Amino acid sequence: MSPSTDTGNDRFENLRQELRRGSLPLAVLAALRTEHYGYTLRKTLADHGMAIDEGTLYPLLRRLETQGLLVSQWREEDKRNKRFYRLSPDGKLILKQLLVEWKSIRASLEDIF
Amino acid sequence: MELVDRYLHAVKFWLPRKQKDDIIAELSEDLRSQIEDKESELGHTLSDAEVEPILKRCGSPMAVAGRYLPQQSLIGPTLFPIYSIIIRSLFLYFLLPWMLVWMGIAIFSPDFRSDHPGAALFLSLGPWWRSCTYSLFFNTLIFALLDRSQARLHLVNDWNPRSLPQVRDRNVISRGSTIFELTVVVATLATWIQIDAFRRVFHIFGITITLSERWPYFFWALVLVTLAGIGVSCMNLSNPRWTRLTASLRLGLDFYSFSLFYWLFRTGLLQSFSASGVSSSDAADFVRSFNYWMAGSAIWVLVIGAIVIFFDVRRVLRIGPTSSARQENSGV
Repeated sequence: MSPSTDTGNDRFENLRQELRRGSLPLAVLAALRTEHYGYTLRKTLADHGMAIDEGTLYPLLRRLETQGLLVSQWREEDKRNKRFYRLSPDGKLILKQLLVEWKSIRASLEDIF
Repeated sequence: MELVDRYLHAVKFWLPRKQKDDIIAELSEDLRSQIEDKESELGHTLSDAEVEPILKRCGSPMAVAGRYLPQQSLIGPTLFPIYSIIIRSLFLYFLLPWMLVWMGIAIFSPDFRSDHPGAALFLSLGPWWRSCTYSLFFNTLIFALLDRSQARLHLVNDWNPRSLPQVRDRNVISRGSTIFELTVVVATLATWIQIDAFRRVFHIFGITITLSERWPYFFWALVLVTLAGIGVSCMNLSNPRWTRLTASLRLGLDFYSFSLFYWLFRTGLLQSFSASGVSSSDAADFVRSFNYWMAGSAIWVLVIGAIVIFFDVRRVLRIGPTSSARQENSGV
């Protein structure tokens, strides 16, 4: 592969990641309308085409919890302690607002395209 | 699982103290779930070689821990451009010239080399290293402190578009400075011609000074370059913008002038000197000392010349053929 193609791929990959990074909090909040622990949440997101590595997901979950959008609870399941996350009442409200915003962005982009 | 434990231990090291256990428990659960899934897929317990790619994909321990920490920087993106300009200017206009002067002296001055033999030559660079270290350290420290207090001090938020500096065209030559330059050069030239400065023998206050045989050559060469300089100044006066032609002429004239001065300084200016009450041996000593001092100072002519030529070359490159064409096209 030529260096210019490599640079082109790198540029695309950087922009793609930037684009996806921006939509990750929305995807996580939406997925946590149902309670999940980290690993199953990752699998759920991956099944819907939003694969996210653990190094990104867990810090994001902590940030959202600190902002009061999520609540978590350590519970035993299958003889192992797991931390379960779900949306807080504030999180539900914010998710609604973000979904409206998302639809508006999508409509605007489609209009531009 | 020993590999996973080692990995988690390494991540834990970098984590904030209060969150260590909580984060590690959650990460551990995730990794073990991944391993279990893989084991049920393959139908056997994973070996270290099979666990390794899972951990590698997760990221280096420091990088993984870093994502849990707040984003930190010594100097943030707001102040970094100013910091960068100051450090680059410091290097370009202070440390680099210093280094060049040191190299010039070390190469061209046998006295300096004999005073600093062997490793002592490099040890003589000690003050340069100290300047590098101190200037970098204190600039970084000051900017790091400013960065931490900028939110309180409103260093970059209190601004007004009206107080921004005017856009300066670096290719415009101020007519005032050209007129000043012309006045000084013409007055100097007139004075030189009036006192017949091309002579070799001068009688001043009972002192007779005889200049070197090379002096008339130097003098007329300097007159020639001065006249050419007056020509360039006149061109600048009629069209007060640097063009490729005038910038190249300025570069050539500066190169020629500094070469002339370097030659004069290296070869010596005085031939003899006599005055009442001064013995011929004292006068000869004075001539020798003066010429020796001039030869020693030639390095400074070289250094100053190199700096001037550097800026002249930069100007020529800045203007460039495309820039000239753009000016012509834009009717400037």
